[in-house]
Amino acid sequence: MDTLSALSDGFATALTAANLLWALVGVTLGTAVGMLPGIGPALTIALLLPVTLSLPPTPAFIMFAGIYYGGMYGGSTSAILLNTPGESASIMTSVDGHAMARSGRAGPALATAAIGSFVAGTLATAALTFTAPVMAEFALRFGPAEYFSLTVLAFMAVSCVLSDSLVRGFASLVFGLCLGLVGIDPLTGGARLTFGIPQLLDGIDVVIVTLGLFAVGEVLYAASTRTSERDEIAEIETSIWMSADDWKRSWRPWLRGTAIGFPLGSLPAGGAEIPTLLSYALERRLSKAPEQFGRGAIEGVAGPEAANNASAAGTLVPLLTLGLPTSATAAVMLAAFQQYGLQPGPRLFAEQGRLVWALIASLYIGNVMLLVLNLPLLRVWVNLLKIPKPLLYAGILTIASLGGYGLNQSVFDVAVMYVIGLAGYAMRQARMPLAPAVIGVILGPIAEQHFRRALAIGEGSPLIFLTRPLSCALLVVAVVLLIIPFVVRRRVPPLA
Amino acid sequence: MGMFVALSLFAPMPVRAQASLDHLTLIAPAAPGGGWDQTARAMQHALQAEGIVRVVEVENIAGAAGTIGLAHFVSNYQGRDDAVLVTGLVMLAAILWNDSPTTLAGVTPLAGLTGEPEVIAVPVDSPHRDMASLLTALRANPGGVSWGGGSAGGTDHLLAGLILASAGVEPGLVNYIAFSGGGEGVTALLGGNVTAGVNGYSEVAAHIESGRLRALAISTSARVPGIDVPTLREQGIDIDMINWRAVVAAPGLSLAQRDRLMSVISRMVRSPTWQRTLSDRDWTDMYLAGDAFDTFLWSERARVDRIVKRLRSGASATPARGTDWIFPVVIGLAAAVVAFLLARQRVLARRQPGPTTVPVAVDWRSVLWVCAGLAGYLAAISTGGFVVASTILFSSVAVAFGSRRRTRDAAIGLLVSGAVFVVFTRGLGLHLPEGVLGAWTR
Repeated sequence: MDTLSALSDGFATALTAANLLWALVGVTLGTAVGMLPGIGPALTIALLLPVTLSLPPTPAFIMFAGIYYGGMYGGSTSAILLNTPGESASIMTSVDGHAMARSGRAGPALATAAIGSFVAGTLATAALTFTAPVMAEFALRFGPAEYFSLTVLAFMAVSCVLSDSLVRGFASLVFGLCLGLVGIDPLTGGARLTFGIPQLLDGIDVVIVTLGLFAVGEVLYAASTRTSERDEIAEIETSIWMSADDWKRSWRPWLRGTAIGFPLGSLPAGGAEIPTLLSYALERRLSKAPEQFGRGAIEGVAGPEAANNASAAGTLVPLLTLGLPTSATAAVMLAAFQQYGLQPGPRLFAEQGRLVWALIASLYIGNVMLLVLNLPLLRVWVNLLKIPKPLLYAGILTIASLGGYGLNQSVFDVAVMYVIGLAGYAMRQARMPLAPAVIGVILGPIAEQHFRRALAIGEGSPLIFLTRPLSCALLVVAVVLLIIPFVVRRRVPPLA
Repeated sequence: MGMFVALSLFAPMPVRAQASLDHLTLIAPAAPGGGWDQTARAMQHALQAEGIVRVVEVENIAGAAGTIGLAHFVSNYQGRDDAVLVTGLVMLAAILWNDSPTTLAGVTPLAGLTGEPEVIAVPVDSPHRDMASLLTALRANPGGVSWGGGSAGGTDHLLAGLILASAGVEPGLVNYIAFSGGGEGVTALLGGNVTAGVNGYSEVAAHIESGRLRALAISTSARVPGIDVPTLREQGIDIDMINWRAVVAAPGLSLAQRDRLMSVISRMVRSPTWQRTLSDRDWTDMYLAGDAFDTFLWSERARVDRIVKRLRSGASATPARGTDWIFPVVIGLAAAVVAFLLARQRVLARRQPGPTTVPVAVDWRSVLWVCAGLAGYLAAISTGGFVVASTILFSSVAVAFGSRRRTRDAAIGLLVSGAVFVVFTRGLGLHLPEGVLGAWTR
C-alpha cells in the first residue's frame, strides 16, 4: 500500500532522537498550557512562531503538533479537578468530571480522560491518514445552510445540561445568548450592545466568559460558603485507577466520541465545542441511567474527552489537504507553514510528502507520549486537591487572571471577566447551571451568522434550509430528537 | 522548566557591536499570528539580526481591526520615538467603519512596507469566465451575485464595493457575505456556496494553481510576474487596490526624531534579511517613504472614505442588512419570557415555603476579601505591574479563606507570580506589564 509505505517513511523521519525530544517538549508544554485556564495551544504556538526562524520545519511541526494534542488533553485536568475548564472544549468534561472528583473519584475521571484522549487521538489520526481526501470533499459540502442546521441540532442537545429546573437552565442559556450578541455584527460591520466602549467591539471572548463563570464564580462561591456546611470534596478513594466497571462503561463512549469528533472537527468553522456537546447528549440519551448525568457519570467524561481529541485531528484534514484552517490553532499552524514558504493545500502532499508524513507519524508518537507522560502524573494531579484551600483558591484566581489578561493583553478583559464572575456567583446562589450559558455564547453567534449568510445566499428565502439535502437531513434529525422523549414518555407508564 | 530554557535559546541573538538604536517597541494592533503581528515579528527579526536596533520588543494590542491598538499608541506614546505602530489599509477602513474616536490624523507617517494583491475568483464550474460576464449578471440582479470574503469593512468588502460602483451599480446593494478570517470564506467558495470570492491572493493561490478555482481578475495596476491572471484595468474596470501594510510613529515627533526612525526603517528594508523575508512569504515590496508615503496615505484615506460612506448608506436593502434584527429580537423575547417565569417561580416559592428555600448562610467577610483582591488586581496591574498585582490578589484570597499566616501567603504569591512572569515573558515572549519591576529587571 502506498499510504502505508509513505507512513513508515514518515515514522523513520520522526523517530530520531532529536525529533522525539521535540515531540516530548511539545506535549509537555501543550499539557501545561492546556491546564492553565485561558492560555491555550493557539496562543502558545503563535508565541513560539519565531522558533521557525532557527529550527528546520520537521522538528518545528512535530513540536507544534505535540502542543496541539497536549493542549486539547490538558484542558480536561483543570476541568475535572478544579471545575475551571482550561479550554471552552472542556466545558462538558467539567460537568460530570468535577462531580466525580467531588465524590472522591478524581483518579478514574482523569484516567478515562487520558486513555480516551489516547484512543480517540490514535483512531482519529488513523482516519486522517487514510481518509483525509474523502473527508475534505465531504467538508466542502457544508455551506452556511448546513452549518446552521447543525447548530439547531446542537441547541437540541443543550436540553440535556439544563439541570433539574427547565426555567433556570433556559435562563442560563439566554444569558449566554445575550452575551454572545455583544460586539460588531460580523455581517454588516455595525456595532451592537457595545455602549460606545471600543473594547467591546470584538465581543466578549468565550474564554473570558468561561473563566469568569467557572473560575472566578467558583472562588467567590467557595468563599461565601466557607464557614457554612457545604458538600466538601470527598477524600480520594484508595485506588486512583479505573475499575473493571469503569472500563466497561468507558470504551463505547470513547469510540462514539471519536466517531462524532473526527468528522465534525474537519468541517469548516469547526471547533471542538459542538462535537463535545453532541457526544455528551448522545451518551446521556443512550445511558440506562440518565439521571446519573451531572452527578458523576463516567460516560459523561469519556465521550466528550474522546470527541475533543478526535476533533483536533479532524481540524488537520482541511488544513493539510486544502490549506484551510478551521480553528484558531490551525490558523496559527497555517501561518507557521507560510513562514517556511510552504503552502498547505492540494499540492502539499505531492511536494512536501516527507514533511507531511513525518508530521502525521509524529501525531501517533505524540499520542503515545501523552499517555506515557500523563498516567504516572495522575497521582500528582490528584494531590493538587490536597493543597490547603487558601493557597489553592488563591492560585486558581491568580492563574485565571493571567489567562484573562494573556488572551488579548487587555486589563479591560480582566475587568469583564470579574464582572461575569460576580454573575456566576449569583447564578450558583440561584442554583442555575453554568454550562448552558457558555454554550449560548459559543452557539449563538455561530447560529446567527450562518443563518443570515444562508438567507443572503438564498436571496432572502428560508427554503434554502430545506432544499439542500444535507441541511434538510440535519433538521429532520433535530426534530426527531425533539419528539422522541414525548413519544417514549407516553408509551412507558411513569413509575409510581 | 528545562523546556523553557531550551526554547529561549532560539530567540534571535542581538548583534551588539554596530547597533545604532538601543531599544524599539513594535506595536502590532492584532493578536499573535495575524498579518500585522507577522509583519511586526519579521521586522523584529530583521532589525535585530542586522544589528540596526539592539533590543526590539513586539507588543500585541488586539481588537476592533486595529483601532484599539491605535488608540493605545496615540494616547501613550505622544512625542516618544522608542515605539512604532504597524498599520495598514484595514485600519483606515475600520476607523471609519467603527466611528473610531482616534484616527490616523495625528500620527507621524514613516513608511509603507509590504502589500498583497487581491484576486476575484469563481469555482471552476461557474458559468462566469471573465469579469464582463460577472458584471452582466450583476447589473441584471445585484442581489443574485453573492460575494464571499473576509470581515465586513475589510479590504475584500471595499474592493467588492468599488467594483460595483465602477459597473454603475449602487455599491450599497452588494450582496457581500462576510466570513470570519481563516479558511471559512475560501471553503464556501470552493463548495460553490457563493457566486464569487474576493480574497488575498495567497489565500486562494493553491486552489487557482490546482484548477479548483478560476481567477477572473487581480487587483494590481499591472500584471504580477509569475501570476497568469488579467488585471481589473485590462477588463475595463478602472480600479487597482493592494492590501498594504505600513509603519507609523507617534504624534508630536520632532523632525530629527522622525528622520532617525525613518533611517532605521530604510536600513531595514534594504537589508538582505528583510529582502529574504519578502520573497519567502510572497509579500510585495511596497517600500514608500517620506512625502511619497504621506501622499499615498492621504489618497488611500480619501478613497476608502468615499466607498465606506456608500457601502454604509444605501445598504439597508442588502440581504445581510435586512436580517440583522432577527436574532436580537428572538433572544430579547426569550429573555423576557424567562424573566417572567423566574419571577413567577419565586412568587410561588414564597407562598409555599418548602425545605428547598432554606437560605445558605453567606460569609460576607470572605466574599468581600475576594472582591477586594479583584479590585486590587485591576488597580495595580497597569502601574504596579503583573507581579505586584498578582501578589495582592493571591494574598487577599488567602485571607478570605481564613489563612492567618499573611507573610507566608504573600511570599508564596510573590514566588508564584514571579515564576509565572519569568516563564511567560522570557520563555514564550508574552508581554506582561513590568510595572515597578521594569527598571529593576532590565
